[in-house]
Amino acid sequence: MSESDIIEPLSDSEHNGEYEDQVEEEELITAQKVLEIVETAWQNELCAPEILQHQADMLELMLGQVAHMEENMKDLDKNDFRFIVHQMELERIRYVIASYLRCRLQKIETFTRHILNEEESRDVSEKRLSAEESKYAQEYADNVEQYFQHVALQYMPNMQRAEAEQRIVRPNLLSHVFIKANVDVPAVVVGVDDEEVDLTAGSQHIIPYQLVSDLIHKNQAQLI
Amino acid sequence: MAKSNKMFADKAFELIKELERSSQTIPPFDDDGVRQVLEEIKAIFEENCAQAANYSTSGDRTLWPLLNFRHAALQRNKRCLLTYLYQRLLRIKALRWEFGPIIPEDIKTSLCEPEVNFFNTYSKSLASYMRSIGDGQGIDLTGDLRPPKSLYIEVRCIVDYGKFELEDGEVIYLKKNSQHYLPRAQVETLVRQGILQHIT
Repeated sequence: MSESDIIEPLSDSEHNGEYEDQVEEEELITAQKVLEIVETAWQNELCAPEILQHQADMLELMLGQVAHMEENMKDLDKNDFRFIVHQMELERIRYVIASYLRCRLQKIETFTRHILNEEESRDVSEKRLSAEESKYAQEYADNVEQYFQHVALQYMPNMQRAEAEQRIVRPNLLSHVFIKANVDVPAVVVGVDDEEVDLTAGSQHIIPYQLVSDLIHKNQAQLI
Repeated sequence: MAKSNKMFADKAFELIKELERSSQTIPPFDDDGVRQVLEEIKAIFEENCAQAANYSTSGDRTLWPLLNFRHAALQRNKRCLLTYLYQRLLRIKALRWEFGPIIPEDIKTSLCEPEVNFFNTYSKSLASYMRSIGDGQGIDLTGDLRPPKSLYIEVRCIVDYGKFELEDGEVIYLKKNSQHYLPRAQVETLVRQGILQHIT
């Protein structure tokens, strides 16, 4: 196999975005596009006070792509300039993925009970956590609860149900965030007195998260 | 009950302040303090119970404010105690990310047994989560902590570590005070464990 054979799919997938990957629903999506989605999800996750919809499918595609690239690179000369560039790109992608998942774990650990309660009331299609994450969240909740029981709660007299409720940590959904509108969004309600603002595509705003959370979920705006 | 000018919940608040002030990674678990707080909670509760019983038989409301006050003290005690425990848990979790699945021996002596159990369970469940990501491929989330700036970094070896095999099969000897130019991704753990030092 000549060297150009190895390089071709790599550079296509990375830079031209012409390389197309088959997705389950017969939908064609470029590796470039996947990376963009993952990066946006990462950025939103880092900025949002609450946990957002998981992107397990996209992550899986991305990881597959990374593995594929690694495989291709094995046969390359280590001192080739292109090798270094590709390797660096891979490291960046890996960092984005790891950072994204870490950020989610941190939210899960902080708001465990709150998130689990919310997940219970959601439909299967609207679950925010992936299957692995909800398993982890459940284990974590049990672990913390068991620890508290063991060390302190069992010695406290007259523990009431209401007090367990008081211990739930909730995210502050009204904290202000920076957003950028991806498309024109007319008549967004801001503030309590039904004041409305039209967001033009590309414009940037500071606004309490809760007022625009649905725009983030619909990808009409993103957090910056 | 009243001792000098000590107030209710003083001890519980003290616990938190001590933890906050300490410069150690994790100060020793204050077994005695925790027990004292729990005893105080119990004492307050029993006193309240006795007087509340008195109130319900005689209907005498003069002690009502006192009951409320004690209840508030009780809640504060509980809250401070749980905060103390929770803050320690956060530090224990940080250990897992920093040192991996085994607690360093010198820190282990500071933990109480339930805390060690917590750590082990936490460690196990984190590990199985990391293994399950991406269709069973697994990712080590405790790596890649900082955005990558360059592929290779210059490191100095702080202790005699011995042989270290790189991913491509090359074996290098890490001797004390020797300097190497190595792939960042592969030596990151060693840097975090303090075996190598990143020099610029």
